[in-house]
Amino acid sequence: MTPTLTGTKKVVTGNHAVSYGAMLSRVQVISAYPITPQTQVVELLSEFCANGTLRAKFIKVESEHSAMAALIGAASAGARTFTATSAHGLALMHEMLHWAAGARLPIVMANVNRAMGPPWSVWTDQNDSLSQRDTGWMQIYCESNQEVLDTVIQAYRVAEKVFMPAMLVLDAFVLSHTAEQIEIPDQSVVDEYLPPYRPIYKLDPNDPRSFGGLAPPDVYMELRYKMHRAMEDALTEWARADEEFSELFGRRYGLIEPYRADDAKILLVTSGTVTSTAREVIDELQSEGRRVGLLKIRVFRPFPAQLVRETLQGVEKVAVIDRNISFGMGGIFAQEIKSALYNRHERPPIFGFVAGLGGRDITPKVIREIIEYTESHDEPEDLIWVGVKR
Amino acid sequence: MRKPIVFTSEREMPPMAVSLADMSHNRTGSWRYMRPIYSEKIAPCKNACPLGNDIPRILSFVSEGRYEEAWRLFRQTSPLPGVCGRVCYHPCETRCNRKDFDEALSIASIERFVADACFDLEDEIPERPRRSEKIAIVGSGPAGLTCAYFLAKDGYAVTVFEAASQPGGMLRLGIPAYRLPREVLDREIELIARWGVEFRTNTKIGQDIDIEKLWEQYDALFVATGAHHSRALNIPGEELALTGLEFLKAVNAGQTVNIGKRTLIIGGGNTAMDCARTALRLGAQPIVVYRRTREEMPAIAEEIEEAEHEGTRFEFLAAPTAIYQRDGRLEVHCIRMQLGEPDKSGRRRPVPIPGSDFVMRADSVLKAVGEEPDLSFLSERLETSEGIVMERAQGLLERAGIFVGGDAQTGPSTVAQAMRSGREAAFAIMRFLRGERKPKAPQLDEALRVNFSYFAHKPRVKTPQLPVSERILGFAETKRALSADQARLEAQRCFSCGVCNNCDNCWVFCPDAAITRIDGTYKVNYDFCKGCGVCAEECPRSVISLVEEEL
Repeated sequence: MTPTLTGTKKVVTGNHAVSYGAMLSRVQVISAYPITPQTQVVELLSEFCANGTLRAKFIKVESEHSAMAALIGAASAGARTFTATSAHGLALMHEMLHWAAGARLPIVMANVNRAMGPPWSVWTDQNDSLSQRDTGWMQIYCESNQEVLDTVIQAYRVAEKVFMPAMLVLDAFVLSHTAEQIEIPDQSVVDEYLPPYRPIYKLDPNDPRSFGGLAPPDVYMELRYKMHRAMEDALTEWARADEEFSELFGRRYGLIEPYRADDAKILLVTSGTVTSTAREVIDELQSEGRRVGLLKIRVFRPFPAQLVRETLQGVEKVAVIDRNISFGMGGIFAQEIKSALYNRHERPPIFGFVAGLGGRDITPKVIREIIEYTESHDEPEDLIWVGVKR
Repeated sequence: MRKPIVFTSEREMPPMAVSLADMSHNRTGSWRYMRPIYSEKIAPCKNACPLGNDIPRILSFVSEGRYEEAWRLFRQTSPLPGVCGRVCYHPCETRCNRKDFDEALSIASIERFVADACFDLEDEIPERPRRSEKIAIVGSGPAGLTCAYFLAKDGYAVTVFEAASQPGGMLRLGIPAYRLPREVLDREIELIARWGVEFRTNTKIGQDIDIEKLWEQYDALFVATGAHHSRALNIPGEELALTGLEFLKAVNAGQTVNIGKRTLIIGGGNTAMDCARTALRLGAQPIVVYRRTREEMPAIAEEIEEAEHEGTRFEFLAAPTAIYQRDGRLEVHCIRMQLGEPDKSGRRRPVPIPGSDFVMRADSVLKAVGEEPDLSFLSERLETSEGIVMERAQGLLERAGIFVGGDAQTGPSTVAQAMRSGREAAFAIMRFLRGERKPKAPQLDEALRVNFSYFAHKPRVKTPQLPVSERILGFAETKRALSADQARLEAQRCFSCGVCNNCDNCWVFCPDAAITRIDGTYKVNYDFCKGCGVCAEECPRSVISLVEEEL
């Protein structure tokens, strides 16, 4: 299959890839508050708004909570909305994240993964976004700048189908501030892929309705049931969106991506930029004849449990790298995979590794150690810390 | 309202919490249980002013340099702003909310500035129907003048009878010129005369003209003859003392009064202070002898301070027991007092200390222990003690068209109180002549809640004063006028308590944009107001009240 049109090659950072993605998605309202390492995302967007490249309203606010509140208002009125944040900014939005999802507003946001303070850190880890796991936002973890740009466009496509908000996630600095050559698609192709947003209900003086009112116990649960059903539908919509994307743009990412996983006895599970490093290590190990494969989790919410189960079928051991920690339990991706497998008869041991917190490098050597540990142990411990100086 | 929509399955429900019915019948204001209303309050200064001068609005004009409008507003409630700006004891300043923030506004000095700045202005006298009834006013002090002004404004023919050669009553006879320059008084009386008021001076009631006759000739009488009768000391040798009021009248009339050097003034009221400060200007050394202490002195504190500042000495806790003449000088025998139990005025009663007699020598003694009205000219038939109806609200004596007001009714009081009495009498007379009943005046709440967060500290303007060395040379006015800049800046300190001055806070702060602003007036759109109260909270001057919604 060949793409019908090609775009322009350009060397851009991950942050600017987000901006281009939002611009090409023809967002109508942007509201954001600057925070390292996200700032350049909205800087470039504000320039696009100022110079007329993008016909959008840019609302300056005094906090991330207000940024999301402003978008909730705009999206309720039927606008396509965008914001970007990171770490503490995302945490400050928390209440409004629930509101956006509960109001079924297809807001798209980029979150640059940054470790939470204290102690202060600006470097990458996933605890900020994973802390928002249960807010009803879709979460998509990106590996490259191209994937970042493409995911913004795909996220609108899916979000506006299922009326759930979406958060794409990229690693601080490793992607946000690192420039790569990417293809910036032609606007006409994006327009073909992404039709204008059509809300079911919107704030309209000519059709006055009340929104977000009190729901007594006899209706609340049904609305929550519908949100969960929408998330389940989103699995199908992501697959379809990815499929159609590949037809137009020549690229696809999947909800998860198995890499050289056929015949693997050990499968390494990663997310974000660790995946790229892991690909190199897997290539090396396979050239050494070792049966080790890779599984990248891209869409984390909704969690593609069935796809994960299918991929892990027949695997002897699974090693999960978590750049995050749920204190008192362990890595969050490992937990998700464990729970996806638990009700199956056939379930390989899961080795949960926590590594790279607060931006510590996860080098090929680290990944090799993780695989070697997995190879040499039969019974996994609940949580294996990697590289802690003890 | 339509019938409620009942969902029986999730498939009938929208994905989000949205009403399926049109909601225009029930806008968001239905959440409200408290309703903000614009209700201007009465500023404490205005409430404290016996005349109810509209001080916040006047100060607002002054703050914008609109002195003429300020002056005309004064004249709606008072014909004597130039007098009051100088001699009023300004209860307005005592109640000023700003005192709890930094210092009260200098309202009196602004009133005086406005009157001075507008000295050459005249009232605009409109064409108005002339009424047939004639009214006689006996006495041309602050009560009589004010009564005449309001009656004449309403079209009545008013004649004012005055025993002295010039109108003004106590303002001219009692108040020394260093407090009230005569050209100010003359000008304000002239403005009253312009309304058609006739003044008949050198006409003393009971002597030059009979009260009974007046009653026959006029449709109503207002008796405002003041309180000119000095109280007695009731001690031996009392006749050797001059009454304070006689002394002041003589000096104020330009007569030469020889009081010598050392002058004792018996008493602690305002007359005593005027006597002391006048004596000082005649080159005497005044000593005020008062039977209680400074705290109990009935004189206005500012007058006591000024008297002391200029060089008056005080002998507290001393009471004269006898006066003797010896070797061309006077000997005042006194007894030392101590304070006992509080009397019915709340002040501690002075009690003589036995055996504490002492003697003070003096060249002259002025007795100023209070004045009382003398209504002996009223014929037996009009005796005040019997058969005279009290009009309850104002305490005016009223019987078949005879009204008594000012100090003549109350005993010695203040200029502003006398003016208020005169104005109330004017309205009572109008009602009497028209057979009307007294309307119930609406009771406004006082604006006591000021949001200080909206104001910056700014010191009160200092009223310029003549130095003491120059004061004692003569009767030049001791207080000087504020400059226009000073007056404007001082007026800008006004909180405008209870009076909307279009600051826009309510309009800006309303989280629901439920307040509209059209042509400088605000309105709450109750279709959208949630009753959160932010507007009331952020109104710096308590114009907005929250009232409970009636269910």
